[in-house]
Amino acid sequence: MKRQQPFLSTGGVTPPSVNLSPGAQRITNASVPAFALIPMLQHAGTPASCLVRPGDRVQEGMLIGKADGARSANVHSSIPGTVVRVDRRAGADGTVSVAALVELGGEFDRTGKPRATNDWEKLSRSDLLARIRAAGVVGLGGGLVPTHIKLARQPGRQVAFLIANGIECEPSLYADVSLMRERSREIVTGMRICQKILEAANVVLVIGQPSEEELIPFFKEAFDDIARGFQMIGVSARYPQGHEELVRASVLAHAASNGVAHDGSECVVLNVATLFAVYEAVAFDRPLIERCVTVTGGAVRRPGVLKVRVGTRVGDLFEECGGLSEAPGKIVLGGPMRGASISSLDFPVTKGVSGVMAFTQAEARTGPELPCIRCGACVEACPWGLVPTRLHKLIQRGDVTAALAEGLSSCTECGCCSFACPSRIPLADSLRRGKRSGALSNNG
Amino acid sequence: MAEPHPDVASPPALAVSPAPHLRGLVSSARLNWSVACCLLPAAAWGVFLFGLPALRVLGMAAGVSLLAELITSLAWGRITVRDGSAMVTGLLVGMLMPPGVPLYVPAAASAFGIMVVKQSFGGLGRNWMNPALGGVVFALFSWSDSMSRWLPVRGAGSAVAPLAALRDAFAGGKAGSGGLLAVLGAHGYPWSATDGRVVTWVNDHVLSLLGASLPRGVFDMLVGTVPGGIGEISVPLLLIGAAYLIVRRVIRWQVPVTYLVTFCVAAQLFGGLPMGRGWLAGGVLFQLFSGSLVLGAFFMATDPVTSPLTLRGNLILAASLGVLTFFLRYFGTLGDGVPLAILLGNAVAPLIDRFTQPRVRSAGKGVIG
Repeated sequence: MKRQQPFLSTGGVTPPSVNLSPGAQRITNASVPAFALIPMLQHAGTPASCLVRPGDRVQEGMLIGKADGARSANVHSSIPGTVVRVDRRAGADGTVSVAALVELGGEFDRTGKPRATNDWEKLSRSDLLARIRAAGVVGLGGGLVPTHIKLARQPGRQVAFLIANGIECEPSLYADVSLMRERSREIVTGMRICQKILEAANVVLVIGQPSEEELIPFFKEAFDDIARGFQMIGVSARYPQGHEELVRASVLAHAASNGVAHDGSECVVLNVATLFAVYEAVAFDRPLIERCVTVTGGAVRRPGVLKVRVGTRVGDLFEECGGLSEAPGKIVLGGPMRGASISSLDFPVTKGVSGVMAFTQAEARTGPELPCIRCGACVEACPWGLVPTRLHKLIQRGDVTAALAEGLSSCTECGCCSFACPSRIPLADSLRRGKRSGALSNNG
Repeated sequence: MAEPHPDVASPPALAVSPAPHLRGLVSSARLNWSVACCLLPAAAWGVFLFGLPALRVLGMAAGVSLLAELITSLAWGRITVRDGSAMVTGLLVGMLMPPGVPLYVPAAASAFGIMVVKQSFGGLGRNWMNPALGGVVFALFSWSDSMSRWLPVRGAGSAVAPLAALRDAFAGGKAGSGGLLAVLGAHGYPWSATDGRVVTWVNDHVLSLLGASLPRGVFDMLVGTVPGGIGEISVPLLLIGAAYLIVRRVIRWQVPVTYLVTFCVAAQLFGGLPMGRGWLAGGVLFQLFSGSLVLGAFFMATDPVTSPLTLRGNLILAASLGVLTFFLRYFGTLGDGVPLAILLGNAVAPLIDRFTQPRVRSAGKGVIG
C-alpha cells in the first residue's frame, strides 16, 4: 500500500460535517415499510416500463419495471404485497415518472430464508453481466448509470484500471465507509467479478484519508494479492475528491508516479456500494431492492447508517432514528453539497439516495445575497479551474455561448463555488442553469 | 409535487432551494467589518498623538462616508450601510489625512469616494477604483497644501512629516553623507526626547560592543512618534491589525509581502540615484516606515473589489505596485506615491485578470493534476 499525497492540489472546500460515533456508523436494518413507493426512474437514462397494475400481487424482489432499451435498468418490488396505485409522480429532482405504490402483505420469499450461493467463478462473462443487468444494479455513488452499461463488453475495449471508489461522495455521509468496514469480503468479490467481466489488468481500491488507516486491515489480505493486480491507495478526502473523474485522475497520477504512464487508458470507476450490489446480484440472484443510507443532520436525534428498502418513506427513516428534535428547516435527499431539498417527508428512498438529512432552522439559513466583491474565493474553490463569478455574470447577461467558451461545460455542479462565496451568490445553481440552456440550444 | 403517502401528514414550511445546502461561515459584510475593526488601533494611535483635531478628521470622514452611502442607497431603494464597506472607506480616508487638514477636505474626499467612485458605478463590487483612494487622490490634487498640514506629535517638535522633511533637505542641497536619518539629523530635524534616550542606551549598551551605532530617529520611525497622516504612522499597530486579517484569511499575506519586497528591492538598488548618492543607497528602511506604504500594502492593495481574482494575478499586480510606488515616491511630485500607485494598479486589474485566467481542467479528458 502506497500513501498518496492529498490529490486535490487546487480547489475543493471543507464543509462542516455531522460526525457519527463508531456505534452510530454500524449498519442497522430499518423496519420493513408498510407502503413502498417505487418509481420506474431511479437511474440515469430512460424510465423502466411498468409491468404491474393496481390490484396485482407482487413478491419481494419481483420485477415490476422492465428496462426500456439499453440505457435503462430493471426495477423490482422491495416488499411483498399488493399494488395499490400506479401513477405519475415528480421525483426529488423534479423529473416525473410512473411510480407504483405497494402495500405490505403476504410472505417474504427472501428475507430470513437460507440463501443458495452461486459459484460465480464458474459463470461465463456474459452470464455474469446478464445477472447484473437483471438485478437492476446502478451506480450507487450518485451517478446512477446502469452498471451493465459501464461493464458492457465491446469489441476492442481494453480496460486498464477497474477502480473501486471508497471515498464518500459528500461530507456527513458514512454509508460507504460503514459498508467497507462490515462487508469488505463481499466488496472484494464484487471487484473480482467486475475484473473478470472487463478483463481489467489492474484493480485499485481508493480510500479517503481519515478512514484509510482504520480500513486497511479489512482489505489487506485481498490487496496484497499482487498477482491479480490488486492495489489500494489512500488520497485526500477533501470534497469533491469522491467525484468519479477526480478518483480516476488520482489513480492515473499514482500510476504515473510509479513510472507507468497510462495516457488515454480506459478506467472504469465503480462505487463500493455498487460493487456490493454486484456481488449480491451474482452470488444470490438478489435484485437491488435495498441500500445503505446515512440518516443525519442537526435535527435528527440519533443519526446513523440504515439499510433501507427502496420505496421507504423519508419520514419513516427519521422515526427510526429517534425522530426529529425540532421542526426541520430543510430536508435533503443525498448529501449537503449536491443533494435535492424536498418539500415534504413523503418522498421515497430510491436507489440513488445515499443520505437523508434534516437540517435545523439555523443550518438551513443562508443569509442575504450581497454583490460580488471579486474576492476570488469561488475561483480558489473550483476544482476544474473555472472562474464561476465570471461565468455567472455571462449567464445572467444571456451569453451562454461565451460562458461555454470559457469552460462552462467542465462544471460538475459540485457546489464548491456557492459554498465558498462570502456574498452568498447561488453560483452553482446559475452555472447549472447555464449548462442546461446551453445543452438545449445545442440540441435544437 | 409528489402526492402524499396515504398515512402521515408532513410538517409545514420546508425550505426548498437548489444545492448546495451549506454555506461557508464568512460573509462579505463580516469581511468588511473586520477590516474596519483592524484599522482602529492605528487610527486610535493617531488620535492619541494629535488629539482632538485628529478625532474630528476621522469622525468627519467616516460620518460623511456613511451618510453618503445612506443617501445614495436610499435613492436606489436598498440600504447598504450594513455591509460595512462605507465604514472602511470613511476610516481609510480619515487615516490618510494629516490631522491639521480643514474639515471640508475629508468631507469632500469621503463624499467623492462614495458617491462618484463607488455608487455611480453601481455600488459595492462594481467600482473599478478603491473609493477611499479615489477620494484621497481627489483631495491631493484639489487641496495639495491642506494635505500637508501635519501637526507636531503631542504638541511638541516638528510639524513636518519625515518624508517631506527629507525632500526639503535634498532640495536645499544639504544632503551630506550617511544614511537618510543622518541627513535628516544634519538638517536639524527634531526627534523626540524618548528617541534620544532609547537610541543612546542601545548604542552604549549593545551596539558599542559590536562597534556599530544607530542614528537618531530610529525609535521614532519604528514606533510612529513622528508627524504624518493620522492612521499611517504606527507601523506596529497596523501590522497587528493586518496579522489578524491574515490569520482569518480576510486578506492574502502574499499581496502585501510581494508589494513591500518589490518596493524595497527597487528602492535599495536605484533609490540613491535621484538623490545623487549612487547605487545601492536608497535608505530603504526609512522609506519602508514612512508615508502610507504599510497602510496601503496591507489595507488598500488587498481590497478584493479592485484587485485581480486569482492569486497569480494579485502577485503580478503587487509586484507592479512596488515598482510603481518606487517611481512615484522618488521621482514624483506628490511625495508619498502610495495612493496614486494603487489607484493606477486598480486600473490595470481587469487587464491582469484577462491574462491570468486559470487553466480549465476538463472532466472526462484526464488532463488533471
